[in-house]
Order: sequence, then C-alpha cells, then structure tokens
Amino acid sequence: MSQTLPVVFLACKVFEGILESKEESNNVFLDYGLHSIPKQLTKAVQEQLDALPEPSLIVLGYGLCGNGLNNIKAGKHTLVIPKADDCVAMFMGSRKRYMDQFAENPGTYYPTKGWFEVGSDPLSEYKKLIPKYGEETADWLMETQYQHYKKLVFVAHTEDDLKTYRPRALEVAAYCERFGMVYEEYQGSDEFIQKIDNLFDFQDKISEEFVVVQSDGILKQEMFL
Amino acid sequence: MNEITVLYSNTIAGDADAVVENIQSALDANINPEKILNEGMIAAMQEVGRLFEEGEYFVPEMLIAGRAMQAGLNLLRPHLLDSEVGKVGKVVIGTVQGDLHDIGKNLVGLMLEGAGFDVIDLGTDVTPDQFVEAAKENDAKLVGLSALLTTTMPNMEKTVDAFRAAGMADTVNIMVGGAPVTQEYTDKIGADGFGQDASRAVSVAKDLLSRFED
Repeated sequence: MSQTLPVVFLACKVFEGILESKEESNNVFLDYGLHSIPKQLTKAVQEQLDALPEPSLIVLGYGLCGNGLNNIKAGKHTLVIPKADDCVAMFMGSRKRYMDQFAENPGTYYPTKGWFEVGSDPLSEYKKLIPKYGEETADWLMETQYQHYKKLVFVAHTEDDLKTYRPRALEVAAYCERFGMVYEEYQGSDEFIQKIDNLFDFQDKISEEFVVVQSDGILKQEMFL
Repeated sequence: MNEITVLYSNTIAGDADAVVENIQSALDANINPEKILNEGMIAAMQEVGRLFEEGEYFVPEMLIAGRAMQAGLNLLRPHLLDSEVGKVGKVVIGTVQGDLHDIGKNLVGLMLEGAGFDVIDLGTDVTPDQFVEAAKENDAKLVGLSALLTTTMPNMEKTVDAFRAAGMADTVNIMVGGAPVTQEYTDKIGADGFGQDASRAVSVAKDLLSRFED
C-alpha cells in the first residue's frame, strides 16, 4: 500500500479491551453472537463500513465466522481480515494450531470468553430454554444439540483470562458432563493478536496470515480457504 | 380454518401432539394424504427454513418443528404408501469427516423421506471412503454431504475427489449443504448440487435424480 490510510478497527466485542487502535474514536465493537445468524453479521458489518465517510484501512476483528463475512463490499475502503475461521484460532495463537487441534479432537466445543460474556454457553442456553419449553423438552433440545461432543475446551490467549473466566467455565463444564463432555483448558498465545495489533502501525507489512480486499472489492469465502 | 391450515400452523409452532391430531382428522375427512404432507407439513417446513434464515427462528424452534413433522410423518407414512407414492430413489447422507453436527443433515433426511426418498443415513463424521462404499453397496445414485464448520468443509472436496477416484463421478451425483456452504464453493469442488436449506435440498435432489432418467 503506497499511501497511509487512517486505520479503523471494526471488530467483535470479544476483542474489546484486548485489541484497540490508539485513537479511541477509531474503534467500533459490534455485539457478540451475531455470527449465529450470518446474515445479520454481514448486515451489521456492512452498515458500519458504509457509514464511515473517509476512505480508511479497516482492520476487521473477525474471521469467517460461519460465513458471516462472505460478500462484504469494501466500497471506498481497504479491508484487512485475519485469515482465520473464527476467534478460537486467534486466541490459540495461529490458524494452524487450531486446525491441528481440531483434526486431533473432532467433537470439541471451544468456547472463548465471549461465549461466557454473552451467555451463549450450553448452560445459559439451557436455562433460557426451560421457561420457554419446559424441562423435558429443554433437556431433549440440549441432548439433540450436544450429544456428539466429547470435550469442552476453554480457550484463552492469556493465563489471566483463563483465571478470570474459569469459575464460569467450570460451572458450564459441570452441566456438560451429562453429555459425556470432558473439560479442558487451552492457553494459547497473543501471537496472532500481536500481528493484528501491528497492523495499526505498519500498514505496509501485511503478512499472508491476512486477507486483503482492495477498494471496490468483495470479501469472498474462498479467500480464506 | 380447515385441517390443512391448522396442520400448517401447528407444524411451524412445533406442536407434535396437535400435528398428529390434525393429521388424523384430515385422514378421517378423506383428504388426500399427499396433500396433507405437501401443503400441511412440507410447506410449513419451508416457512420454518425461511424464518431461520431471517433470524426469527433459532435452532431450538427448528428442531421442535422437525420433531413435530417426524411425528406427523410416522402417522402419515402408511397412508402415503396406500396412495401409491412410490419411492423416488435412494440417497445416502451424512456429515463429512470431522463434523459431528447433525441437526441440518437430520432435517434434510426428514424432508427427503417426506418427499418419498429412501434415505440411507450414515450419521456423523463420515469418511470419504465410507461414503463411496455406502453408495456402492446400496446402489445409490445420489449422495448428500453436510458440514456446519468452515474447518470441516474442505472434507467435502475430499469426498467428491474420492468418488472421482473410484470412477463414480458419472454414476453418482453429489449434493452439498450446511451453513458455510455456498454455490460458489459447490462449483469449485465440482459437486453437482447445492441445497441452501432443507426444503430446497429436496428440489435439488429430485432434479439431480431426473438427470439419470434422460
């Protein structure tokens, strides 16, 4: 990139407090859990992009996120996105690490702190289902969704985060035992997060671990594969 | 409201007991079983698919609607055979290797069954070779692959390649589907059809089988 653009960090709330550009006004954090309805995630990100008046380098704090970023239009901006499936890879430290873990342990549910913060972990989900459907149906719904999982692995990039969220993670884990899920923790690293952080200062050093979409381009799933 | 309209609403609401009652009274009123299935339950599941895509329905609502349709179908199935709705064809389905998420696959199976297919469900975490073997053993001309995760989606390509390597590319059609799957991806890996949701998967399946009839 020849000229320097203003940098805006448009990210999932899971990165709030972890990754921020120096100027506060240049950070936009969107709600957790938008990925569960990919269409809504696409819409929310697109609206934010379109609303930024000045052509900017937008660092997207997202991965493929269930395809929620497919077809995002760069418009006048340049987009940079970590080449990752989701935040699990980013908290583990690299995509390769995630893929290796994943291949070794199919049937693992990997919550990051965002899951606990927003209450989209299995225990919170169960508690929301009971008043709506009654206990019997709630149990059936949970069993149907979680019966094939073998492990619950809480992933954080620092020991501090593991410590902070461990009590909640253990509560969730105790509930998940009924599905035969075993609890583990995975302390990743801030390797990937550092690389994103560097983008704020060194626009000319974007590595292959990122997808770049030039202005007028469209973000496509195949760029990640 | 007539029986079909009530059945349609109860299927969307996922009230299995009511669905069974509605079907019984529709049968008692001599309504064509095929009409009960198509206009009552299959149309309802199409609407459920739309509500899910729009974010108005979530996985639990969809599961409950699916369960209601399954209960209804169990009651209706013998009558469908009576009215000579023959088996449309065989289809082998499963989630690809490494993927244990079977909600979407089960819904597709249910809809295919409703449409008269003989569904051979291999379950979850199915290797490319297992798909190939099952298609051979059952002499199925249609195979459906499902994946929920972008991390397991590449195993769809491996499965398509396995059919090619087995020399079955011309005798078996492969359809793919699941949250991260797109038409572009389908084309890229050389699969034959893309089912964007469970009800559209049925149209794709019928279309793919009809290619063999020509």
